Amino acid sequence: MLLNPATANQRRPGFLGWLLMTPMVLWLVAFVVVPTAILLVYSFCQRDELGQVVYHFSWENYRRIFIDSDTGHFGTVYWTITLRSIIYATFTTGACLLLGYPVAWFIGRAPERRRNLLLTLVMVPFWTSFLVRTYAWIIILSTDGLLNSFLQYTHLISEPFEMLYTPGAVVLGLIYNYLPFFILPVYGSIEKLDGSLIEASFDLGAGPLRTFQRVILPLTWPGIVAGILIVFIPAIGMFAITQLMGGGIKPTIGEVIQNQFLQARDWPFGAALGMTLMILFAAVYWFTARRQQAV
Amino acid sequence: MKLIRLLLACAFVGFLAAPLHAASRKKAGLNLFCWSEYVPQEVIDGFTKETGIKVSVENYASNEEMLAKLLAGGAHYDLIQPSEYTTEALIKAGKLEELNLANIPNIKNLAPEFTKLPHDPEGKYSVPWMAGSVGIVVNTAKVKTPVKGYGDLFDGTHKKRIVVLNDNREIVSWALSFLDHSVNDITPETLEQCKPVLEKWLPQVKVYDSDSPKTELLNGDVDLGIVWSGEAAILFKKNKKFQYLLPSEHAHRFIDSLAIPKGATNKENAEKFINYILRPEVSVKISEAFPYTNPNAEARKLLTKAQLANPASYPPGDPKLETFSDIGKMAKDIDKLVTDLKGQ
Repeated sequence: MLLNPATANQRRPGFLGWLLMTPMVLWLVAFVVVPTAILLVYSFCQRDELGQVVYHFSWENYRRIFIDSDTGHFGTVYWTITLRSIIYATFTTGACLLLGYPVAWFIGRAPERRRNLLLTLVMVPFWTSFLVRTYAWIIILSTDGLLNSFLQYTHLISEPFEMLYTPGAVVLGLIYNYLPFFILPVYGSIEKLDGSLIEASFDLGAGPLRTFQRVILPLTWPGIVAGILIVFIPAIGMFAITQLMGGGIKPTIGEVIQNQFLQARDWPFGAALGMTLMILFAAVYWFTARRQQAV
Repeated sequence: MKLIRLLLACAFVGFLAAPLHAASRKKAGLNLFCWSEYVPQEVIDGFTKETGIKVSVENYASNEEMLAKLLAGGAHYDLIQPSEYTTEALIKAGKLEELNLANIPNIKNLAPEFTKLPHDPEGKYSVPWMAGSVGIVVNTAKVKTPVKGYGDLFDGTHKKRIVVLNDNREIVSWALSFLDHSVNDITPETLEQCKPVLEKWLPQVKVYDSDSPKTELLNGDVDLGIVWSGEAAILFKKNKKFQYLLPSEHAHRFIDSLAIPKGATNKENAEKFINYILRPEVSVKISEAFPYTNPNAEARKLLTKAQLANPASYPPGDPKLETFSDIGKMAKDIDKLVTDLKGQ
């Protein structure tokens, strides 16, 4: 990152370091800080008849999230929806962990010249838009779709299964789309893992399980945490896959927010939901980061 | 790393340059902002060939999306295609240019029932493009019991076999019709009455889809649906087992119009385009591609018997049809009602 080893030893980046950071800082300011500030301002505004934002300060949007207007007590609607999104995201992350870790291990331990090929294979799906790939799943899973036709043709089932537009289909779509994002960071940490440490562990009498638990897992933990964050947080907010494969029956929080910006045209309320979710994400990140430090 | 930084910097400069690019889009020709799957390419090419005016087309999938982009500014559109309630709201807010009818002599081709409509009583701001309805489509190969209205559809025997439009105002309007209210009678009291009805109905829905509800019906995922009439007309053309009917309670009729947003740069070109599509031989091409109800009386004379007999395009009899009017801030209450019910 820095140009010569002498400056690399300094604890604080020098002028040159800051200069090199400028594009990144500008990027963050323009596309993270400013939009978040706009969201924060909008979340205290209201909408007019045409759905335009009116700059009239009000707590109304946050009140709608927390308080049920009919009963005046704590409102559960948006929290039920958020909880459902979190459950989907948890299943997705868990499956990515179980499926992705062995794959990352296999790639990371493969001979060096084959690694690039294997990594390319993981990346190949990105050459097609995820929407197109999601539509492909719809064709596979629908009642008269490929999978049902195949199962009926081979007489494994007599009546078609209802697979699409179920929570299972939503989770399948999420796993399918997020798995590569989990494999890549975990691969990064497995690739860096020093094989001699594993050998040393075996030499000192530890079995495979103990070696995994005491040596491999702690050393690849940063990659796992990165993978979990990269999968879990976007999976909570995802709306396109959940809408297409879930049929919009039980909306996720991402669908509800998207709906506020496009269909309901209530940007202030959408902004308030977004801000609430962002604070939730920040809390999750904070806890994970603390845990990571503790390990 | 340096390379990545450099790429990021380049991308950033690109983003900064984007507004300049947008400004350069404000050019001569015609900037048409229309629904996806609604304006045939053939018609656009024919217009350019005849007048030499280049048309740039941008699409949207809902009135609300169109409003969002139109009102955010930045882009410059010369011609938009709002539905009746959006046209009404835009007129109210003073966001539309008055049409110079001297430039649109072909307006005489419109059927009388499509002039001086409630959303634009003097016909000064908008010209109808196509009209349609929202009704029930039944796969008669699977459903043997008669379905006449919303009450039959949601009587509990078709649980999880139904696709409906993913549009909260539409959904609430069905309950209002079922309760014998006008679709525009939206007050806290009527919404309160809709609640128990929708509470019973919505769990029976398998899919919400506004973009292409015909897909779920064709795939066999569902057997019934509440869909746009144009979607039903296409289904009927593919297979006669898909029967369309207007619900016995009431049905929503929509009228999509062409209108010129305030401050359009190429107003005259837009009027030329409106005049062009009002020609019977052009209008009939639109009907062929998108079989909605054509408001052009002269064009209807050129349609085939089969086209006119498609009940989804031209519903027989004298159905009870109602258009939506602008409801302003009540949109928020509708959204809350449906989100609450779906979220449970």
